[in-house]
Amino acid sequence: MATDTAAPQIDVAPPRGWRTWFTQENIITTIVGLIVAVAVIVPLVALVINSFLVLDDLGFDTEWGLQNYRDIFQGRVIKKALINTAIISTGCTILATLLGVSLAWINARTNCPFREQLEPFNLIPFFLSPFVGAIAWHNLASPKVGLLNNMAKSAFGIDFPLFNVNNLWGVIWVTGIFFAPLVYLFVVGSLRRMDPSLEDSARTTGAGLLRTTFTITLPLVTPAILSGAIIVFVTTAGEFGVPFKLSAPFGWETLTTQIFTKAVGDDANHYLGAAMSMVVGVVTAFFIWIQHRIIAPRSYTTVTGKGFRPNLIDLGGWKWLAFAYNVFYVCVAVVLPIICLFFVSLHKIWSGRIIWSELTFWNYQKVLFFWWPESIDAATNGIINSFILAFGGASIAMVVAIIVSYMIHRTKGYGARVLDFLSVIPIGFPGIVLAMGVLVTYIKTPIYATLWILLLGYITRFFPYGQRNISSIMMAVSEELDQSSRMAGATWLTTLRRITIPLLKPGIFAGWILLFVIFLRELSISIILYSAGTETLSVGVYYLSNFENEPMTSALSIAQTVALLICVVIFRKVAGKEALTA
Amino acid sequence: MSENNYLQVDHLVKYFGDDRAVDGISFGIPEGKFLTLLGPSGCGKTTTLMCIAGLHKPDAGEIRIGADPVTSIENRINTAPEKRNIGMVFQSYAIWPHMDVSQNVAYPLEIRNMAQSEIDDRVAEALEIVGLTDMADKNATQLSGGQQQRAALARAMVFRPRLLLFDEPLSNLDLKLREQMRVELKRIQHEIGITSIYVTHDQAEALVMSDEIIVMSKGHIEQTGGPHSIYARPVNKFVSDFIGVANLTEGRIVSNGGGGSGTIEISQGGESVQLPCLLADGLAEGDDAFLSVRPENVDASRQPKDGPRIEGEVIQSVFLGNCLDCRVKWGEFEWKVLAHSRERLRVGEKVYVRLDPDHTLAVRP
Ligand SMILES: Nc1ncnc2c1ncn2[C@@H]1O[C@H](COP(=O)(O)OP(=O)(O)OP(=O)(O)O)[C@@H](O)[C@H]1O
Ligand SMILES: [Mg+2]
Repeated sequence: MATDTAAPQIDVAPPRGWRTWFTQENIITTIVGLIVAVAVIVPLVALVINSFLVLDDLGFDTEWGLQNYRDIFQGRVIKKALINTAIISTGCTILATLLGVSLAWINARTNCPFREQLEPFNLIPFFLSPFVGAIAWHNLASPKVGLLNNMAKSAFGIDFPLFNVNNLWGVIWVTGIFFAPLVYLFVVGSLRRMDPSLEDSARTTGAGLLRTTFTITLPLVTPAILSGAIIVFVTTAGEFGVPFKLSAPFGWETLTTQIFTKAVGDDANHYLGAAMSMVVGVVTAFFIWIQHRIIAPRSYTTVTGKGFRPNLIDLGGWKWLAFAYNVFYVCVAVVLPIICLFFVSLHKIWSGRIIWSELTFWNYQKVLFFWWPESIDAATNGIINSFILAFGGASIAMVVAIIVSYMIHRTKGYGARVLDFLSVIPIGFPGIVLAMGVLVTYIKTPIYATLWILLLGYITRFFPYGQRNISSIMMAVSEELDQSSRMAGATWLTTLRRITIPLLKPGIFAGWILLFVIFLRELSISIILYSAGTETLSVGVYYLSNFENEPMTSALSIAQTVALLICVVIFRKVAGKEALTA
Repeated sequence: MSENNYLQVDHLVKYFGDDRAVDGISFGIPEGKFLTLLGPSGCGKTTTLMCIAGLHKPDAGEIRIGADPVTSIENRINTAPEKRNIGMVFQSYAIWPHMDVSQNVAYPLEIRNMAQSEIDDRVAEALEIVGLTDMADKNATQLSGGQQQRAALARAMVFRPRLLLFDEPLSNLDLKLREQMRVELKRIQHEIGITSIYVTHDQAEALVMSDEIIVMSKGHIEQTGGPHSIYARPVNKFVSDFIGVANLTEGRIVSNGGGGSGTIEISQGGESVQLPCLLADGLAEGDDAFLSVRPENVDASRQPKDGPRIEGEVIQSVFLGNCLDCRVKWGEFEWKVLAHSRERLRVGEKVYVRLDPDHTLAVRP
C-alpha cells in the first residue's frame, strides 16, 4: 500500500524576488506598518528639518543654517536651561533609584510589617500627575505660602522658611518621589522571581545579611535597576509640569519650559523649539536604545524561574525602621500632597495657613459646574475634553496595539520586524518632543486646533505601552490555540473574535485603563498642541495656576486626582497585583 | 495505485528562507488507515503536517483528500485550513483556557451552525468515547495532561473530519501515561475508523500504533512500509540505525544471487568474511553497502558452527535473565549480541559469532 518511495528530485528554487514577496502577510503587515510609520516617523523628520531652519530677525522668513543649535549651546538662557535639565535629571535619577530600590527590597525580600498593605500605596504616585504633585509641594513648602513652613513658624517660632522647593532641589525632590515607582516596578519583579538558593548559598559561605544583599542580591538585579534608572532619567528630562510650576518662575528654566515658550506665546519660534526638542530627543533616544539593546536582554538571565517563594529576610528590630521609612515615603508622596491640596482648595484665598472659619466649596463650583455661567471655561472644557480624549484615545490606541502585536507575534512577514522597531521609537522621545514634531507637521492642516491633533499625539506617543501589555500575553499564549481554532473550521476573523481576543482580555483591559490614566493626566503633549476650546484637564490646571489662584488650581487638581485614584482601584481589580511589574 | 489512496501528497516542497525543510516528498494513505511520519527532530515532520492542515503554504506540490485537491501550487489552489475539514491534535493540546471542556468540544460544531440539540448529543458522544464524560464542566486549566489530551482529541474528531492529524500528541506526558495513551489513541482511531496521520520521533510509538510508517530525515523520505517491514527490512543505513538497535558495518556486495539474496564482504584488521544476506533494492554486485543485523539475530558460542567464521573476544557480558547482552570485539568492530543465557559467556573469552542469514541484510549506505 505504500507509494512512491524514491522521491524524484524536484527542481524548485527557493522563493525569491518581488513576486513571492506579495503574500497576504507581507501586504497587511506593510500597510499597517506604513500607517504607524507615518504617524511615528513624519513628526520626527519634520522636527529634524525644522531645526535647521533659522528664523530671520523680522520673524517672517527662514533660511537653512545651524544658528538654532548655536543658540542652544552658546546662548546664555538656553545653555543654562540645558545645564539645569542635566542637573535635575541626574539628581532625580539618583533619588528615585535609591527610593525605588530600597522600597522594592523592603517589600519583596524582608519581613517588614504590613508590607502587603503598603505595596499599593507605594505605586499610587505612578498613577498620579507629577504636575499636581508639584502644585501640592509648592503649597506645602514654598517659602511664603508653604503650609509646612508656616506650621513650623507657629509651632516652634522658626522665623526663616524651613523648606524651599522653588529651586532645582525642589524639582529633584518632587520628580524623585513621583518617579521612584518606575524603579520600584522594574526591581520588585526581579527580586520576587529571584532563585532564593542564590542568596542561601551565599549565606552558607558565611556572608552576613548585609553583605549578601550588597554582593549577591543587588548585583543580580542590577540590569533591572539600570533599566529603571534610565527610564527615570529619560522621563525627567522630558518632564514639563514640575519645573514649570516649581522652578521656572524663579529663574530656573529647563529645556522643556524653554521649548514651551518657543512653541506658544508671543516670542514663539518653532524652529528654535524644534532644535531644542532635537537635543532632548537625541539624548533620550540614545538612553532608551541602550536600555533596549544592552540592558533589557540581560535582565532575564538573573532569574532562574518562576514560582519560587524566596525566604524572607528577618530584619529583627530594624523591621520597624523599614516600616517607618516606607510610611514616610507614602506620606510625602501621597498623603501630605493630597491633604494639603484639599485644604488649599477649600479656601478663597490661600495665605499659607488653614483658616477653619472660611472653608468653602466655592472653588469646586467654579471649576466643575460647567453649566454654571460663572464657571471657568478652561477648567470645565478640560474635564470634558480629557474624558473624551482618554476614552477615545485609549480605545483606538488599544486597537492599534492589538493589531501591531498580532502582526509582530503571529505573522512572520518582513513588516513584523519593522513594526517591532517602530513601536519602540515613541518610547525614546518625551511627549513634549514628539508634540513639537506633531505641531510643526500639522500646524498648517485642518486638524490643528482640534481635538484630533491631541488624539494623534497621544496615540502616537503612548500606543507602545498598550502594545507591550498585549505582546507579553501573546508571547505566553501558544500559537497552537489559534491554529486549532482554524482547524476546527473557524475563519481567521472568527478565530480572532472567539479565541485570540478573549485570551488577551485581561491584557486589553489593563492596557486600556493604563492608557486612560496616562491620557487623563497628560500635560506635556497637550500643553504644546492645545488651543482655546481644546484644553485638557492638566492644561486647565496649568491655566488656573497661571491666571487664577492656588485654591482654584487645587480644586481642579483634587478633581483630577480623585478620578485617577478611582482608575487605580479599577486597575488593581482588573489587572491583579503583578500586572505592572517588569 | 495512488488513485486508491484517500490522502495523496505529491512532490511537496517547503522552504524556510533558503532551507528546504520539506524536500519534494510524496506519499499516500488509504482510507481508514493510520500513517506515522517518523524521524529525528528537525526533519520536517511538523512542516509536512502543517502543509496538509493548510497552516503552511508549500512552495511546490499537490495535496489531495479524496477527490478534492486542497493544495496544488501549480494550479494556484490552496484551500484555507478552516475549509479543509481536518481535525488536528497539537503537541501542547491547545485546549482553550477561557472555555470549559464541553465548550471546547462544542466549538467546531457551533462554527458549523448546528442545532443546539445536535451539538449536545455529539459533544456527549465524543466525551464518552474519550472517557471524559465526568469532566464536561471542568475548566481546561483544571485538567491533567492526559485529560487535556483526551479533550483535544474529542474536539478534533467531534465534527467528523475527513482526516485526523496528530503532532507529537504524547510527548508532553510521562512515560507510563504515554504507553497507556498509545493504546487508547489507537483504539479510538480504530473505533471511529478515521484516516489519521501521526507525527512522532519516538520509534516505539510508531511501531505500536501505525498501519504504515514513513521514516524521514532532512526533508526526505527514507523508507515507507508497515511496522514489521520497517523493522525487519530497513533499506538503508539511516533507517536501520534509527529504528531499533542494529550492528552496522561497512562492506561490499560481492555477489547477487537473484531473488533478493546475495553475499556481502566485510573486513576488519586484514581479516575478511563473506556473509550470505538479503539485499536491499537497488544493490548490485560491486556496490558499497552496509551490513545490518539486529542483536537478537546474532549468536555467539564457544564452538565454531558451519558457515563463515567470525572469531572475537567477549568484552562485555550482562545477564538479562532470558538472554545475555554481550559485546564481542572483532578487529575494531564491536558486535552487539543477544546470546542464549545458557552459553554463560564471560568477559575475555574467545567466541565465534554467527549471523542468522535470513535476517542478515545488506542495506544502502
Ligand atoms: N517557522 C519556521 N521558520 C523557519 N524555519 C522553520 C520554521 N519551522 C520549521 N523550520 C525549520 O524547518 C525544519 C523542519 O522543521 P519541523 O518543525 O518540520 O521539524 P520536525 O520534524 O517537526 O522536528 P521536531 O521533532 O523537533 O518537532 C527545521 O530545520 C526547522 O528549523
Ligand atoms: Mg515538530
